Amino acid sequence: MAQAIANDEVELGARVAGGPVPALQKGMGEWLFLVPALVFFIGYQVWPIVRVLWLSFTNFQLLSDKPAQWVGFDNYTQALHDPLMWASLGRAALFTIMFLPGTIILPLLLAILVDRVANQRLATLYRVILLIPAVIPSTLVFVLWKWMYNYQSGPINHLLVNTLGIFTLQNAPQWLGGTALTLPAIAIMEVWWGLGYHTIFFIAGLAAIPKELSDAARIDGANEWQVFWHVIRPGLAPIMMILVVLRFGSAMAVIDEYLIFGGFNRASPTYTWTIFMYDQAFKTGLWRQGYGASIGMIGAIAMMVVMAGLLWIFRPKG
Amino acid sequence: MSGRNEQEYLFQEAARRELAQGRIDRRDFLTRSLLTGLGLAGVGAVAKSSITPAFAADRPLTPTFYQWIQDLHPGIPAVNAKFPGINYQIAPVEGFGIERFVAEAKNQQSTWDVYVGQTPFVEMSAFIKAGVIEPWDNYIPKDVIDDIIPSIREECTVDGKLYSWPFFLDVIGSAWHSGITSKAGVPSAAPATWDEFLESSKKIVDSKAAPWGATFDAHGWRSLVPITHSMSTKVYTSDGLFDFTSEPAIEALKLMKQIMGYSNPDILLEGSSDAGVNSTTDEIAWAAQRVGLYFKYFNSPFRFAASWDDPKLLGVGPLPKFSNGEGSTVFWTTGCALFKYGQNKDKVAEYIKALTYDPQIWKDSIVGTPGVHPFQLPPYKSFYADWAANKPDWVPPAVGLIRGQLDRAKAIDNNLFGLQQFVIGKPIWETYLKGEEPDPKVAMTKVMEAVQAEIKKG
Repeated sequence: MAQAIANDEVELGARVAGGPVPALQKGMGEWLFLVPALVFFIGYQVWPIVRVLWLSFTNFQLLSDKPAQWVGFDNYTQALHDPLMWASLGRAALFTIMFLPGTIILPLLLAILVDRVANQRLATLYRVILLIPAVIPSTLVFVLWKWMYNYQSGPINHLLVNTLGIFTLQNAPQWLGGTALTLPAIAIMEVWWGLGYHTIFFIAGLAAIPKELSDAARIDGANEWQVFWHVIRPGLAPIMMILVVLRFGSAMAVIDEYLIFGGFNRASPTYTWTIFMYDQAFKTGLWRQGYGASIGMIGAIAMMVVMAGLLWIFRPKG
Repeated sequence: MSGRNEQEYLFQEAARRELAQGRIDRRDFLTRSLLTGLGLAGVGAVAKSSITPAFAADRPLTPTFYQWIQDLHPGIPAVNAKFPGINYQIAPVEGFGIERFVAEAKNQQSTWDVYVGQTPFVEMSAFIKAGVIEPWDNYIPKDVIDDIIPSIREECTVDGKLYSWPFFLDVIGSAWHSGITSKAGVPSAAPATWDEFLESSKKIVDSKAAPWGATFDAHGWRSLVPITHSMSTKVYTSDGLFDFTSEPAIEALKLMKQIMGYSNPDILLEGSSDAGVNSTTDEIAWAAQRVGLYFKYFNSPFRFAASWDDPKLLGVGPLPKFSNGEGSTVFWTTGCALFKYGQNKDKVAEYIKALTYDPQIWKDSIVGTPGVHPFQLPPYKSFYADWAANKPDWVPPAVGLIRGQLDRAKAIDNNLFGLQQFVIGKPIWETYLKGEEPDPKVAMTKVMEAVQAEIKKG
């Protein structure tokens, strides 16, 4: 029996080694395993992008029965000459500037504090508390903060007007609904929502930095700031890069929150390029999807340029 | 014809009639044909009677409703119960979004048979343009058409065809909190003119009876247009667009600014649901009993007064008018759209008739049920005639008053930009309301230019 198995193995080894099985067939087997991933990647990611890119060069209108015609760069030219395009990109960038520091600095500080808690049970409790907002469904988060920020009946203005008496019912802050405070108000909500999630990133990063490095620095006379700046910060740089790039992308492309908190008011700070695109493609006139696609492509290109810059800034050094 | 052939013919005809009326589907028809020995003859009958989508039915009756309709009208399930097997659904139309319907129609498909939630000036033109819906004329019974109030029928008609089977009627009028008006020494009655409205608002604020005198919904179709109509309804261009630069529209804008002097400071903020159009700040002020006077479609004051300490303090009346004005207002209906690529069309008509004529739905709407008081009214003459002839004790005088307003009220003209013109224009005319632009005419001219620029884009 053992001899038979050994013979089979020898025979199989000979076939695989280049005997009767052609090399091409071997290669095809590998491709066969790749097919599901390729189908998913091409069908779910590449094709929609190619389709939108094609749309952006046509005058396609969804409500019209006329076939789409190739218009070259007309949509792009028109969009780049539309002041709303630049204003809406600027608003998205403004929100990103308000939001990004809160996704880095606060979680980093919290991660360092939690990392220093010696009692394991207490450290776990802190982690759980921090993660609570991250597991609340988005709908609930929006409902909660809409109530919190409500001009007339929200607890924030109640505190400012009735408890502290800093404002009156006539001049209390108007947080949401298209005022100048709307973007900072949404940024605060987003930072709160992602605080635990981002903190966990940094806690994981801190765990990967050998404690001996910090201890050695302290023995060499470094103070806590110097330990942070010269040991911890460089160790966390890869985490920062991931967070900054990911969150830059998600902040620039926010749409749900803007629709909920600002609607389609073109003067609202929440009318960013994502809303502009949606408005043109699904709301206005004959639903100018070709034009909407070009707005989307311009937004995406602008984001990619900045992302390339961010990757360069956070590139591994030394 | 032999006895057997005659019998077969009778069976075949009976089954074909049931198929045409939507009582059996094609599968049942062919099964019966086979069972009665007709076989291929049944298939032939189907072919000869040219089964159109109207008769085709390989699924149960499938209506889809805008969520708020279900929320405000708890009597709908009772009507559904009369249609066994009905596949009742909620429509994916948050914030008036009709993308799904359009996308399906492009593929000559429809998941649903009828959409209950269409407001003509909001989306009907888009539905027609994209071939999503078809007219009701071939399906709606003549007695129902004749029963629709003429101005509503006009609102629902394009090129002589009825594209919306009207259901809920909303008319814009005024409301007051009699607890606040009494405290301020203001008559607890509908102000007859806008001057009186302003005067009463001022008195409410000055007397500190409430923090704010008056409020309104800042969306154009709920404030700018009704005020404009109270002066004149001849404010539409030949294309069916609202003429923002017309004298009545400019007077309306000026009046809005005057009212804002006595209103809640957040009045211009977008609402917090349905992409800013609903859950608006006026509703919060009204529900919190912080304002004395209000004008909006009646559904709103009734619904939000339900949370007052004493909801009986609510008073409603017609919209005030300018001293030299026409005294009209705005109305719209929320109705039913028949999907071109839907099925069960005769059955749909039967269902919609049952729904819109259901007396309990109207009683609940007018009287209110626990936690819900929509106060939306029927679109049929017969209801008002019956109530006038033999008035039930649950029908308040306001119903007659609203019916009276309807004779003078006008719907917003149907146009692809029917709603969008107000969305585009709002931030621009608000520059005048906020004091950034001193001249209302300049602001309104810019609105017209912005709307025209969008129209030119297609």
